[in-house]
Amino acid sequence: MGYTITEKILARAAGLPAVRAGQDIKAKPDFVLAYDFPGYTDVYFKTMKEDFGIERVAEPERFGIFIDHMVPTATAKEEELHINTRNWCAENDVPLFERHGIGHQVAAEVGYATPGAFVVHFDGHVSQLGTFGTLAIGLRRNVMEAFVSDTVSIRVPDTVRVNLRGSLRPGVMARDVFHHLVRRLGPSSCRFQVLELGGPSVAAMSTEGLQTITGLAMFTGALTAIVNPDPVRLDYALPRARKKLEPVSSDPDAHYSAVHDIDLSDLEPIVVVPPTPADTRDLTEFLGLEINAGYLGSCASGRLEDLRAAAKVLEGRRVKTGVSLHIVPTSQELMAAAAREGLVSTLVEAGAFVSSPSCDYCFGRIATMTAGQRAVSTGTLNVRGRMGSPDSEIYLCNAAVVAASAIEGRIADPRPYL
Amino acid sequence: MTMPVMRGRVAFIFDEVNFDVDQIVGVKNIKITDVAELAQVAMQAYDPDFALSVRPGDLLVGADNFGYGHPHYPPMKAMRHLGVNGVIAESFSPGYWRGEVSMGFPQVSCPGILGFVRRWDEIEVDWAAGVVRNHTQGTEIPFEPLPQADAEMIEAGGLVPFLKRQAAQQREQKDHANVSGI
Repeated sequence: MGYTITEKILARAAGLPAVRAGQDIKAKPDFVLAYDFPGYTDVYFKTMKEDFGIERVAEPERFGIFIDHMVPTATAKEEELHINTRNWCAENDVPLFERHGIGHQVAAEVGYATPGAFVVHFDGHVSQLGTFGTLAIGLRRNVMEAFVSDTVSIRVPDTVRVNLRGSLRPGVMARDVFHHLVRRLGPSSCRFQVLELGGPSVAAMSTEGLQTITGLAMFTGALTAIVNPDPVRLDYALPRARKKLEPVSSDPDAHYSAVHDIDLSDLEPIVVVPPTPADTRDLTEFLGLEINAGYLGSCASGRLEDLRAAAKVLEGRRVKTGVSLHIVPTSQELMAAAAREGLVSTLVEAGAFVSSPSCDYCFGRIATMTAGQRAVSTGTLNVRGRMGSPDSEIYLCNAAVVAASAIEGRIADPRPYL
Repeated sequence: MTMPVMRGRVAFIFDEVNFDVDQIVGVKNIKITDVAELAQVAMQAYDPDFALSVRPGDLLVGADNFGYGHPHYPPMKAMRHLGVNGVIAESFSPGYWRGEVSMGFPQVSCPGILGFVRRWDEIEVDWAAGVVRNHTQGTEIPFEPLPQADAEMIEAGGLVPFLKRQAAQQREQKDHANVSGI
């Protein structure tokens, strides 16, 4: 019996000839990533020194720190956190990426998404590096193990394979594919497992679309998601790779705990109804529901194809008076590309508020909603209080739906605008 | 070292699948840092008398995919402050599981637990036998063995003690290797 890409990556990281799902191992991450956030990085830095006597990390090139939350700062305390992070990175010689964009996107741009690499973070959305055949797992607090020792203790996960066939119809985006998976497979279908995407349509899907799908894997219960790297993904990732590794792929006779087939041609635009990422419904059920705000951004959106979709809908039209539409490109690299393409001027002329990359819109730190308000959003989550008051509501949807809804002031179908 | 004792009454059964634990204290209270204050607001939406009826050693029972959503730490900090010693659920959402295991808070995955207990039954996790016993009803049901690192983390009392113990073991192995001239 063959091996999954996950088993192959973890075997190498564990220094073993082979590992199988279910095996408890200690694996050495090729890269250890984190963004600075109170209670996380500040605690790791302090614990390393005070509890483990580690003054400097042994291999700084294995680490990467991002400043993407609280950007720009609103309080002196936030700035102090960033200063502490900058100092730690300087003292340890660890690469710091400040204001380059949302870390999970920047991580791909700067080469941590090395095909075949094993990456850990505390935040689960790092799963999107799986687009490039990188096994990237969010460990929550347990990522501290990677700061105080060479390895992390994990159980080799089983894999659920999802084969995609067919192609998306106009107005349907990668975002809809992911939420359709939650609906079809269930929000606990991949618990403690890896969601592996394959099938004849993966090669034709955009890299950005795959980043969206893999980045949201946690809402199926998955530890991460991964794609067997194809030439398009390797062309992007290999020249940027921070480590020389042989890309690996699942064997044709690898063992999967389940295999599902999804025909993309069947899919319709969806909305995910508050207050849970489990409640995926057809967009058509919710058309006409009044909204106050729209948000296009986050590590799960805000890339060029999302900005293009929004620009297509908004070109020559106006955001309805009274609706705030925030559009936040995911990284500086993407924002500059969008500006060169003329997308930024189209969006701004339509009345959108376009900001430099930041995570802060996604969790209500800015553009905060008050009780009774409702947003359409491409953010990661729709739980209570995510974007402000616990009595505000978030309907998750694709970028084109956000744009169309901002024009009408109510949840709207983008297809008549395309 | 041994696994912590888990014997007590079923203080509450969360029968909702994909249960978002933040609801235990309510999202509007999620930023409270004072644990006594958190304990006061806990369970208001489910059982306003919970703080009065819960006793040290009591356990919680949950449904499938317990802890789904975007779990924060304050709800279970409140529960521990009230004396709750662990959670037994049909299954857990991985993010929640990792977070609480790293706090050294015992979590036990036990398919069938919902049909196996009634509220206030006296139950016990027998770690060695791999079963949950219902002393009120005189029945038992197997639970899923924990991954090795998770068991060690619960045994050690959380992430940092676990890592310290591991570091000490690694030092010992190194010293041993040096002594034997390897």
